[in-house]
Amino acid sequence: MIRPASSLARRAATASSARRTLATTARRCENLPKSTSPIVSKLNFFNSVTGDGTQIPTYRVLDGSGKPLEGAEVPEIDEAFATRMYENMMLLPALDNVLYNVQRQGKISFYMTSYGEEATIIGSAAALDMEDEVLGQYREMGVLLWRGFGLDNVMAQCFGTSEDASSKGRQMPVHFGSPQHHFHTISSPLATQIPQAAGVGYALKRDPARRSKHIAACYFGEGAASEGDFHAGLLLASTIPSPTLFLARNNGFAISTPSTEQFFGDGIAARGPGYGIDTLRVDGNDVLAVLSAVRAARQRCLTQGRAVLVEAMTYRVGHHSTSDDSYAYRSRGEVEERKRVDDPSGRFRRFLEARGWWGEEREKEARERAKKGVMEAFRRAEGVGRGELGGLFEDVYEGEQPWNLVEQREELGRLLRKYGKAWGPWKNELGKFRGEGRDVMGGEGKSA
Amino acid sequence: MHPPSSTARRVLNGLSKHRLAFQRRANSTAVEPPPAGGHLPGVATSQLLRPTRDAALRTPGIKWKDEDNSTLGGRETRKMNTYQAVRDAMAIALAKDDTAVVFGEDVAFGGVFRCTMGLAEEFGKERVFNTPLTEQGIAGFGIGMASMGHTAIAEIQFADYIFPAFDQLVNEAAKIRYRSGNSFNVGKLTVRTPTMAVGHGGLYHSQSPEGFFMAGSGLKIVIPRSPIQAKGLLLGAIRDPNPVIFMEPKILYRSAVEQVPIDDFELPLGKAEVLVPGEDLTLVTWGTPVYHCETALHVLRSPSEELESLIPASVRGAKVELIDLRSILPWDMETIVESVNRTGRLVIVHEAGAIGGVGSEIASEIQKRCFLKLNAPVRRVTGWDIPVGLTYEKFHIPDAIRVVDAIIETLTY
Repeated sequence: MIRPASSLARRAATASSARRTLATTARRCENLPKSTSPIVSKLNFFNSVTGDGTQIPTYRVLDGSGKPLEGAEVPEIDEAFATRMYENMMLLPALDNVLYNVQRQGKISFYMTSYGEEATIIGSAAALDMEDEVLGQYREMGVLLWRGFGLDNVMAQCFGTSEDASSKGRQMPVHFGSPQHHFHTISSPLATQIPQAAGVGYALKRDPARRSKHIAACYFGEGAASEGDFHAGLLLASTIPSPTLFLARNNGFAISTPSTEQFFGDGIAARGPGYGIDTLRVDGNDVLAVLSAVRAARQRCLTQGRAVLVEAMTYRVGHHSTSDDSYAYRSRGEVEERKRVDDPSGRFRRFLEARGWWGEEREKEARERAKKGVMEAFRRAEGVGRGELGGLFEDVYEGEQPWNLVEQREELGRLLRKYGKAWGPWKNELGKFRGEGRDVMGGEGKSA
Repeated sequence: MHPPSSTARRVLNGLSKHRLAFQRRANSTAVEPPPAGGHLPGVATSQLLRPTRDAALRTPGIKWKDEDNSTLGGRETRKMNTYQAVRDAMAIALAKDDTAVVFGEDVAFGGVFRCTMGLAEEFGKERVFNTPLTEQGIAGFGIGMASMGHTAIAEIQFADYIFPAFDQLVNEAAKIRYRSGNSFNVGKLTVRTPTMAVGHGGLYHSQSPEGFFMAGSGLKIVIPRSPIQAKGLLLGAIRDPNPVIFMEPKILYRSAVEQVPIDDFELPLGKAEVLVPGEDLTLVTWGTPVYHCETALHVLRSPSEELESLIPASVRGAKVELIDLRSILPWDMETIVESVNRTGRLVIVHEAGAIGGVGSEIASEIQKRCFLKLNAPVRRVTGWDIPVGLTYEKFHIPDAIRVVDAIIETLTY
């Protein structure tokens, strides 16, 4: 700006520039700094994600009798894919039936069934890529079944045999893991996998071989979503961002705590927009809706490179675990009613039959095959037995073993040599290990 | 041993000034050497630091990680303080390992302690980036990346704020390899955090939480005392196949300055370092108290006029073996045992409180292994079992005089 020569001109220039500054300032006050939030003069509290006070809607494709809803788009699937989905939805409860009873018989220490959630788990598993990294909570064995983990591996982990590659006998049943199947090992603390999934997603993004190809898919229940880790994980995956798909299994219960006592807001889906991420609520008992939803969510996740949230509404038909009797806090009637009104497998079966892809003969055959496969794997696992006792001390550290672990292993060896035959509890237990503890008692040949 | 006479002192002063001048002419990269006699050495004047290139290159245990293609004269060093050395280590890690990333609160602009200065500019925002304010998220995110084989270098802004990450670090990071039967691991996770008192930090900028994590078997914990140590141990930690918590004494970020080798080198984890050899008493510590211990040894040898009457002549000649533990988990039991078997006396110094502190673990093991060789009970000099109160800090954090007192008590038991 050229400086005016005379003082009059100077004063005029100052006045006009002052006017300009005032106008600009007034414009700038229309919005807060760094924000496009509109300014309003009416005091108006809001309390709805949908903007009109209604709850977030639930996406559904098939009605209760397996018929596509008016206007619904049935996802692209062929007979092979659809029947594969259905057979996995059959295999899961077949496996649950056997292992639940096996626990009751005292042959395994613990078990968790997935009754009622078959559509949520198989539908979402089928929508993911086989190499998407899955981080689960504990009720996602169906993902492993879909991915071909196999019944022998399931049994090995539940029985803690020498073939337990998931945990080498160190974890309670259902704590599966498999790098080959891109399924991160389950851990008991709830929700810890959520921020970890954000990191897994970021690693995928940073890997030129996997960027824009694979996502991290994180499962958790509506109870676990109350943990601070949920907030941390969604915050990170939405902000950094990382291509992580968050799948909330809202099955109505966290052990005995109904969801009405778990949160006051509109479920888990209401939280998504809080993090600025694309969110969808889906009928978790409609396997085709779940398939569609997760396929679409996965695609968004990949293109945006950012978190996406899907809340699957379902119902936990079974008890929380073998340590729980859910009839202590809900009526049998409620459970039976739910099973009758909304059986995810039955619903899908009717869809398949309408397509001519399934029938009574196939049903009988598939059911028998599933049961047979499970029983075979179970009987086989019963005969495998545990690994060596020395596995107790391995894998704490990689590399040179710290002196305390070396000495503690020797100490146990000394105690076993001295008391192993005389002390009942130890004597009985040693027999379960290959080598009966000789690898620890031996003194020489201590494995690192 | 008698303190030098005033004549002797004048001579000594003259000699050292001469040495000073010679050093300055011969080696222009030298840091100011400490003034001779009479002063209480603080960190800035500590003899334990390596202010010259020669001294730096002679750091015991250095493992060079690249070919020495330096020109005539050998490897180069550069004057660095602790935060610059930490930064240097991370720059090397980022340069050599494409999967390496650095993240945490405020790391992008350089970090609240400047440990990440210029790294975002140099390596890009995809590799050096801010996270939202969530320690449990930072730790979990790092665990996720490391589980995929990426080198995740996380920063927790102050050790006082590491507790929300405790579940992720102790229940997850420490146990992933074991619980998965070695099918997954997070060895590539390193969590760095500023620790210990700074003089004006109060309850929440002064804590030393290493004791809480010492029980997290599966983790490693490392605490460096100087720039060279920080760089070498941090590179060692980043590359160690186990998750490591790296705690950097914040008061040393600026005040500890050394000539630090600019090349890629590592120092060993799990190994203590004998800083001053001795035979009458073993003094074990780590981090900031290393310098209070050095001061204590000086006070013991040549107390000031005011202190002379309080320090019995019989102890002034004592040769105290000063050991920097460096790694808290696993801790170098063998070096301490070997030392105490010779000296028969042990004093442990740490800023954290006495109960449940690292000193209690060391004391327990040493009394077990050196029981018959001990001539006095194992003595701990620690912060009080109280939160660190701002205006009381000088009476809370163990300083040189408390170490002196403990040494005297232990020597005269």
